[in-house]
Amino acid sequence: MKNIKNNIKIKGKSGLPQTVSTPSRYRNPIGKYVVGRNSKCISCGLCAKLCPYGVHPRYENFSQPIRPLDYRCIGPKCEANEYFCVKNCPQHALSVKLNPIMETLGDYRWPAEMILAHWYMAETGNLPQVDLEYNLGFSGGGFDKIRFKSPDPKDYLNIPDEEIDTSILLNKRHDGRPERVLSLPCYGGGMSFGSMALPVLVGRARAAKRLNSLTCTGEGGYPKEFEPYSDNFITQVATGLFGVREETILFAPVVEFKYAQGAKPGLGGHLLGDKVTPEVAKIRETVEGSSLFSPFPFHSVYSVEDHKKHIDWIKEINPQALISVKVSTPTDADMVAVGAYYAGAHIIHFDGSYGGTGAAPDIAKKNIAMPIDYAIPKVHRFLINEGVRDELCFIASGGIRNAMDVAKAIAMGANGAVIGTADMIAMECVRCTHCSSGRGCARSIATTDKELGYEISEEWAEQRLVNMYMAWRKQWCELLRQYGMRSIKELVGRSDLLVHLDYLDEVERQKYQPAPKKKLIL
Amino acid sequence: MRNINQMLEEIITSRGKLPRATFEDRKAAEEGGCGVTGFIASIPVGGRHIFEPSVQMHNRGNGKGGGIAAVGLVPEDVGVTQDILDTHYMLQVALLDPNVIRQVEKEFIEPFLDVCQGSRIPTVDDYREVNGLDVRPPDVYRYFVRVKPNVLDRFITENNLKGIDPHQAEDEFIHQNSYRLNQKYYASLGEKQAFVLSHGRNIMILKIVGYAELVAKYYLLDNLRAHGWIAHQRYPTKGRVWHPGGAHPFIGLDEALVHNGDFANYSSISEYLKQFNIYPQFLTDTEVSIQLFDLLRRNFNYPLEYIIEAIAPTTEHDFDRLPLEKQQVYRHIQQAHMQCSPDGPWFFIIARNDVSNKQFQLLGITDTGMLRPQVFAMQNGEVQIGLICSEKQAIDATLQSLASEDKRFCTVADRYWNARGGSATDGGTFIFTVKDAGKGDGSKTLTCTNKFGDIIKIPDSTKPGVIPDGPPVQKIDQDLDKTGTEELKEYCCKNITAWSYQTLQDFCKKMILLANENDEQKAKAIAVLTYLNDIRMPVGEKKRSLTLQIIRDSLSEIFIATPKLDSNSKSQYKYIDRGTRNTLRAPQRNETILVLNAKEFPPEGEDCDARLIVTAYELGWKQFIAYGYKGQRFCGCGLSANSGGVRIDVYDSSGDYLASGIDGLEIYVHGNAQDQVGQILKSGKLVIYGDVGQTFMYGAKGGEVYIMGNAAGRPLVNAVGKPRGVINGTCLDYLAESFMAGDPLNGGGFVVMNGIIVDNDGKIVPQDTPYPGSNLFSLASGGAIFIRDPDKMIVSEQLNGGELVNISENDWELILPYLQENERLFCIKIDDLLTVKGVKRKYTDVYRKVQPVKAVDSRLRAEGIRNQVSLVIERNKKNEQIR
Repeated sequence: MKNIKNNIKIKGKSGLPQTVSTPSRYRNPIGKYVVGRNSKCISCGLCAKLCPYGVHPRYENFSQPIRPLDYRCIGPKCEANEYFCVKNCPQHALSVKLNPIMETLGDYRWPAEMILAHWYMAETGNLPQVDLEYNLGFSGGGFDKIRFKSPDPKDYLNIPDEEIDTSILLNKRHDGRPERVLSLPCYGGGMSFGSMALPVLVGRARAAKRLNSLTCTGEGGYPKEFEPYSDNFITQVATGLFGVREETILFAPVVEFKYAQGAKPGLGGHLLGDKVTPEVAKIRETVEGSSLFSPFPFHSVYSVEDHKKHIDWIKEINPQALISVKVSTPTDADMVAVGAYYAGAHIIHFDGSYGGTGAAPDIAKKNIAMPIDYAIPKVHRFLINEGVRDELCFIASGGIRNAMDVAKAIAMGANGAVIGTADMIAMECVRCTHCSSGRGCARSIATTDKELGYEISEEWAEQRLVNMYMAWRKQWCELLRQYGMRSIKELVGRSDLLVHLDYLDEVERQKYQPAPKKKLIL
Repeated sequence: MRNINQMLEEIITSRGKLPRATFEDRKAAEEGGCGVTGFIASIPVGGRHIFEPSVQMHNRGNGKGGGIAAVGLVPEDVGVTQDILDTHYMLQVALLDPNVIRQVEKEFIEPFLDVCQGSRIPTVDDYREVNGLDVRPPDVYRYFVRVKPNVLDRFITENNLKGIDPHQAEDEFIHQNSYRLNQKYYASLGEKQAFVLSHGRNIMILKIVGYAELVAKYYLLDNLRAHGWIAHQRYPTKGRVWHPGGAHPFIGLDEALVHNGDFANYSSISEYLKQFNIYPQFLTDTEVSIQLFDLLRRNFNYPLEYIIEAIAPTTEHDFDRLPLEKQQVYRHIQQAHMQCSPDGPWFFIIARNDVSNKQFQLLGITDTGMLRPQVFAMQNGEVQIGLICSEKQAIDATLQSLASEDKRFCTVADRYWNARGGSATDGGTFIFTVKDAGKGDGSKTLTCTNKFGDIIKIPDSTKPGVIPDGPPVQKIDQDLDKTGTEELKEYCCKNITAWSYQTLQDFCKKMILLANENDEQKAKAIAVLTYLNDIRMPVGEKKRSLTLQIIRDSLSEIFIATPKLDSNSKSQYKYIDRGTRNTLRAPQRNETILVLNAKEFPPEGEDCDARLIVTAYELGWKQFIAYGYKGQRFCGCGLSANSGGVRIDVYDSSGDYLASGIDGLEIYVHGNAQDQVGQILKSGKLVIYGDVGQTFMYGAKGGEVYIMGNAAGRPLVNAVGKPRGVINGTCLDYLAESFMAGDPLNGGGFVVMNGIIVDNDGKIVPQDTPYPGSNLFSLASGGAIFIRDPDKMIVSEQLNGGELVNISENDWELILPYLQENERLFCIKIDDLLTVKGVKRKYTDVYRKVQPVKAVDSRLRAEGIRNQVSLVIERNKKNEQIR
């Protein structure tokens, strides 16, 4: 851990933060393959010398065999290589096979491979060498069936990543408020102190600062630990108004009104009593141990002109703040977007279904809101027809898992995306979906327990996130290069570059990677 | 004679022949709120008086639709005789394409209708002359018509309606004819050509793309007189609107409806109407609302009370409070109309000509959840007026407009109040009725009733309501400049009952002169007049409203006479208004008090008065007198933390979101406050000498508040921390829902609710019940409510998660200082509060405490979890053994 601290440089030469190797918190990280070493091993050290991936660690002054770091192993396909350890081992002490945990880890949206790949990205800042599918899941629809068209090789633009622009502009209204630019086309979703451990949240903020991005308080108030990063913290004004004070509104570069969450539209936030520890209760000024409910609507907003008044209020309090309106995706999402525009919002943020942590009830998460991939083009087109698309920053979220999902969302018409789950995955979440179960998060992320909640250090969380986003950036840059684009802004609304597998004829469909299918043991 | 049901069947069948397009169950545009305003007076007044209140409602609309309706017109203003006005249908057709007029007349008017008079109504020559009009309003043709007798006979025969009341048949014909016209020239077309604006008797509607008041300008209605006016500012979310077809008001037959809100069950209501062969043509919530109203009134023949019950059902505790026979009827109504009861936030204002009873009515109906803003007001006297608005300042603006022209109107209403939706007390509805006074001179009188027909009493209605001219009858004998402030207050209290209006005016004039002498006298004059404005006291044979008008005008005069910021005056008071806002600078020398005239400031935005206060505060100003408010919002917001020592005194019609977010400062509101006041209030003090509106202190964290009157719906929802205060009145419903303010005896929050009214004479009168709502302290986990309930009228059915307990000595010690401050501020004596029916009682007999049901002790809960865990382990063991 100390090691990381000393190595962090805030910015590399391109103005982007540097990636620093940030290994797992656990001694034996999970990998796709298991490398076995049996008792025949004589510790000759050949495997360590051969393996270019560092699966077999070995120290100068210690000659006993050490358990292989099998998460780095590229698996049986290594057979083709001269350095394949299993074949080369004089004692035939080594074996490699698929890790049986792959059958149980993850779920349809976040399959095991996607999780492992993101762990790898968060550790190294690079895309994994191991054959992991990190762009597609098993959902059988949505982003998993949408593909980018094969680019014309002639379009390829041979420029380095540093020259590619992945920034987005949040305020396009030219209304005298700051024109804030983020270096990445995404920022962090709202997670409250109460739902998450404090170092996790501070780590996100530190990462946001280094990435020149934003993160969001959720509706858990504003612990003083957030204050050094206030320029990168969105203050969320949600229906419970927990921790929302004039001061916290004045801190914020962006104030987000959370009208609804795609994971549970029509339901307010809900923090179970067991998570309301004395610290959480203090920040929210509530009763320790009592469950906290946020009402499903704003009691003061029942119509579009109330909504405008509500925005005007925050604008009056903080004349420098940008206003983001977060809503879920109703069938008339287009009307809502236009309403938000006329009410004076800078950012309209649509949160589709499938997002949310394990705390959101499954039935709500998957059945109420419209999937975001339906909402984006609908809203984008409507805003163009209204003639206001260029004045609104349109952010999508809800089930946007990885870099390619972000790119697809942008090509459909969004300006950028909000990321929540991937941040947690970067911190080694295993998606056990027990976030609501009191304080006992198995990975010390969604917990407010006074011991468990401090298992993660801020520095570690920060660097893991920086690494993951820098890996994502590599993916975006490569995609843009392929289409001959210099900026991610050129990709906005280019739905002509996308295809949906279900709408292609058989011949055409063969050209694209099929939607992965897999039976999971649940 | 066939019975009413058979006739209804036949009418419905006859509608089946009407042409219609494919049935749409999607609204054409989402529109949420909007601003609505309306009034009805015992005398006809000019259309210019709907102008000001409409302007006040600007920020509730977006200029993409506005409309007004007028009922009870004056015959000469529309160029017909009284008889024609009473008996003929006033058909108004709006032409989006001026060329189709001949076609429309040939097809829908000439063959069926006898036209007594028909012409294009006058307008401004060029719409661009009217500032703010971007889209040319439609040409409107007005016809006074009756159905041709042979046409009507044929209609009756063809539709098997023999025996029907001919008036009823004629109504139906007119209605169907308009429907056909709309279908052909509006609903079936992409490029709309024409539609019927209105077709009722002695009622008319006009609408445009633009703000409502521009209707009056464009169609030259300034001098067109009518008893009742309603206006609507629309807020459609769609950007490009080129014609006003979707704007309100919508017509039934003899009624016009405007609507603020939207329905979640639009398609369910449409489905219901479809069963009666009623199809929407304009695809808005408002259209189906009036279709529903029309069906219930004209076809089902329901009395108003039942119509209201059908659309805003009485529920919960209120239902239990109804008399048994009412419950039976209502239960049937609710069962029959469950499907068509609009679900969601809505508030209707309906203007109608009740032809059969020869009266004009103005109705305001609120939904059961009271989710839209609404204020009612009434003024009694030589002329009478009833007003209904989304925001109070629109009422004040109407009265100011009227009073400037006709001295019989006063700028302050005799009574302001809110309706409690779906309640057993008022049914969420108030009806103003104007009818012949029975004096034989054609003069009319206005009464106000609630849903149940109970007449609403207006105080002071017998006192003279006009200031006679002439010198003062009595002289002010007191040496005003030498008397101290407190002494002078006492002097006023003692003498004001005997003063005539002139003496009061004389006194006020002297105070104004005094105020201009020096700062000391000015402070005194402001203090004394403010005291007279704030505190209810007997004023003798004067109306309180008029007394207030005189006092408030005098205060304004004192304020406006304050030296400007750029003057050389040595006064510690300095004046600023919108015109001089650029002269704002840091206070110099002895300057301490900034007098801010908010009148010309925009209600929100970068340039609003609330921003000016923040800037002034940053420059070092700490004391503000802010007056001249016309609903400007956000007063006191934005000063951030540690604003202790700042004080703002607010006069006149303050706006929404006042004190929302304050953290340290003190705000005194000398009058009623509006909606969303004190949200997320963190610390500081808020005193309101009047009522406060919806969602008071939503999400508040602390602070001290004192309310002299009532709080409307949903006060202190989701409040946490330690907000503390006293509400002397009561509130409509949902008080302290999800209250989470810790343990009051341990630094947490609470509210004392006295459930009283301070009447115009300053006497304490208990309200019918200290808390009428069905939901008190629902889902609360912390804090407490101390409620004055000597007759034990609060029952546990009203609670959901709370419990009623006796008040302890510690509790009393906790609330006593707040009641003392309450006494100091409002002259509401603790002794009087403890006096029940003339007998002074112990606090334990008067106050009750509502507290959260004790949460399971956390230790116990932890144990419970442990037990559960061990249970699971044991079960697993067993399972293993079985295996």
